[in-house]
Order: sequence, then C-alpha cells, then structure tokens
Amino acid sequence: MTEALRLQTLAYMALFMALAGLILFVRLLPADQSQPPAPMPDVLFVLVAAWVVRRPVHLPALLIVAVVVIEDLLTQRAPGIWPLLMLLGSEFLRERQGLAREINLAMEWAVVAGVGLAMFTLERVALAIVMVPRPPLDLSLLSLAFTVALYPVAVFVLHFIFQVRKPATGEVDGRGRRL
Amino acid sequence: MATDRSQDSDYVRPVRRLLLLVLGVALLLLFLLWRIDSPRVERFRLAFVDAVVPNMEWAMAPITRIGQMIDDYSGYARIHEQNQELRRELQQMRAWREAALQLEQRNAQLLDLNQVRLDPSLTHVTGVVMADSGSPFRKSVLINVGLRDGIVDGWAAMDGLGLAGRIAGVGQRSSRVILLTDSNSRVPVIVQPSGQRALVSGDNGTMPVLEFIENPEDLRPGDRVVSASDGGVFPPGLLVGEVVLGADRRYRVRLAADYGRLDFLRVLRSRPAERIEDTGALLRPPVPPEVSGD
Repeated sequence: MTEALRLQTLAYMALFMALAGLILFVRLLPADQSQPPAPMPDVLFVLVAAWVVRRPVHLPALLIVAVVVIEDLLTQRAPGIWPLLMLLGSEFLRERQGLAREINLAMEWAVVAGVGLAMFTLERVALAIVMVPRPPLDLSLLSLAFTVALYPVAVFVLHFIFQVRKPATGEVDGRGRRL
Repeated sequence: MATDRSQDSDYVRPVRRLLLLVLGVALLLLFLLWRIDSPRVERFRLAFVDAVVPNMEWAMAPITRIGQMIDDYSGYARIHEQNQELRRELQQMRAWREAALQLEQRNAQLLDLNQVRLDPSLTHVTGVVMADSGSPFRKSVLINVGLRDGIVDGWAAMDGLGLAGRIAGVGQRSSRVILLTDSNSRVPVIVQPSGQRALVSGDNGTMPVLEFIENPEDLRPGDRVVSASDGGVFPPGLLVGEVVLGADRRYRVRLAADYGRLDFLRVLRSRPAERIEDTGALLRPPVPPEVSGD
C-alpha cells in the first residue's frame, strides 16, 4: 500500500510535468503573427496554485522551479525572477494548507488572487529596480485578470478530471501519517 | 503510528527551509547574472532553445495536419459556395440567352420587312459551292450560277451571316468567287462604332489585315466591321466581321462568314449607285401663262 501511494505521487508529478509541457507547447505554437498578441492568462501559475492548495506533496518546490525556469528560457522572459516569485508564492500557499482545507472556493480564489497580484507587483518592482523594460501595464493587468478568472476552471479540471482533491478527513499518506 | 504532518521531524523543516533559501538565492543570482552579463545568458538560452524546440517537430506534425485539414475543409466549403453562385449566374444567363434569341428573331423579322419595303433592288441569287481553288495561294471558290442567272463581275457574295467575297470571273453557268482572305482581295470597310474607313486586304491567312486605318488608336478589338460603298463595289452595311489585334500588333478581321463550311453562297444583285453629275439648277417659280400671253 505504501508503494502504491508513492507510485501515485510519482504519477501525479508526471501528470504535472505533462500538463506543463502541454501548456508550454501550446504557447510555442506558431500562431498567427499578423495580429497583435492578445494578453494571455498565465495558465502555469493557475495550475500550480490550484494544485499546491490541494496536494502540495505532488509538487516539490524544485519541480515547480525547474518547470518555470524552462518556461522562462523558452518564452524569452527575464530569467530567474518569475521562478523565484513562483517559489515564494507556492511556499506561501503550501504553508497555509491547513487553512486552505477550511475555506470554501470563493475564499480560496480570493487568496490566490491576492498572491497573484502580489507576485505581479513584485515582479514589476524588481524589473523596475534593475531598469529592465517592462510590458505595458494595461496589457499585463488584463493578463492578470484573465489569469485570476481562469482559477476556478483549473480547480474544476483538477477536481473532476484528474481527481486532485483536498485531502478528506482521516486520509493518510504513504507513511501512515494523517494529511 | 500516526503523527501530525505539520509536526514533522525536528530536522526536516529547517533543512527544507535552508534548501529553499539556497534555491531562491540561486534564482536571484541567475536574474542578476542575466542583468549584468546578458549576452552570456542569452547565448545559453539560445543553446537551450536550439536543443529543445527542433525536437518538437514530430509534435508539430499532427497540428500542421489538422490545420491543413481545416484549410481543405474551408476550401471545400468555398467550392460549394462558388458552385451555388455559378448556378445562380447560369440561371440568369439562361434568361438572358432566351431574351437574346427572341430579340434576334425579332430583329430578323424586322430586317426582312425592311428589305422588302425599302430596298427591293437588293435581291440575291443563291448558288451551291462546287469547288474551291485547290491551291494554297488562291482563296476562291466556284459556284454554280453564272451569266445565265445574270451574275455580274464585282457583286458581293455572302454566306448566311457575313460577307464572303466577291465575284471575279463569270462563266455561262458558273462563276468564281474570290474570298476576302485571298491575297488579291481588297475590300473597303467601315469599322462600326468609330466610323473609321479602312481596307480589308487578304494575305492568304485566315484573318485578313485591316490596312489604311485613319486613326488606329480609335480602334478596339471587338469592333464590328461592315462593308462600305466606297468605289461603288459593294452595297454598304454588310457584316464582314470583328476587329482583333493580332500577335504582330496589327489589326485584323475575324470574318463572320464561316469559311470552314461554305456550302451555299448568296450573290447580292447590286446596282451601282447612281451618280449625281450635274450641279443644281436655278430654282424659280413657274412662269404664269397670262404674263407670257402679254
């Protein structure tokens, strides 16, 4: 049983990597260059946030950072700053997992939106400090709004399709400890 | 032995904290390194992208395929649309064709009436084409009407539609028609909308050349060419053909007469137009008889 649980965790990690790969792949698809790019939601952030709130065991910090660094490198962003913020944000949510189990979806949504907004602000501040050109504010705000709006969708997909749920009362992990 | 997870072993949490701190500092250093020595990091990024992205080609194949399928499908949809449109146009064209046929019949009727009432001199004799010249340098045919039927040299010969040639040589019961394409044929014509006078001169080809045009820039391919009465050779207004622009940039005439099947030729009995020779006489009132009796 212990082996099975550990295998399940590994399978979920693989699933996360596959989803992240899919998201990156879609972003890298040669889209129509003739139109100005529409602000896209940051799907990876939404996925990580919804997942970390539910099952933090599936997503070790190192995995998150690795995936986001790869995203940085592939999407020509300033490397390092967004992975760092993702690490901080996911750790913040991870620490409050006990709280997350007790609040409903709306509250959870608000918390995640706050974390997202804080990360967004910190990134712009950091970029401003080192005087890196930042994307236009209105477009990035629109993108943030899309990202936040996408959160319930990610929650439902994780909950009903991939069966990533908040631990039920009395559920135990691989070593028999209560979650 | 169930223990609460939040009270992990004493050493796991601090170590994890430390590792996270190291990770965070590393990321921060990466960011600062990129800021300070951007070219080096960008080179690394480029190498990374080079290593990763080309491997996505196999993954791109189905996407491209789907895109092609969508394109094809919309192409089919367009074909269907086009087909519908063409059908509609064909329907309209049928209506127009019907109208054109009716107009043509009516025109023929009116022309018939006109001929009977206004120009009784323009009657015709129809002959059967017996033989053609049999030479590549002579474009002429023999018809089975001659002096016996009152044929005179110089009369115009038409097939059903347009001018075919003129009589050149009359025998007792046959005569020779020299066609417009013969290299000796010169026929005065008028090009219809612009009223240009010109000469249709045959050159043994299928399309005789338009020569001596007054203003060639007034001509357009597709203009109607009709015969002119210059020199009193032909009755005016017989259809000859339409103007085309040859490959040698010379204006030529596509003949209305169908030289491929000359079976019957209609020879028009034309009288030479009356010439008015004298000048006008003095106009005066008739002399009253009582004055003369004075």
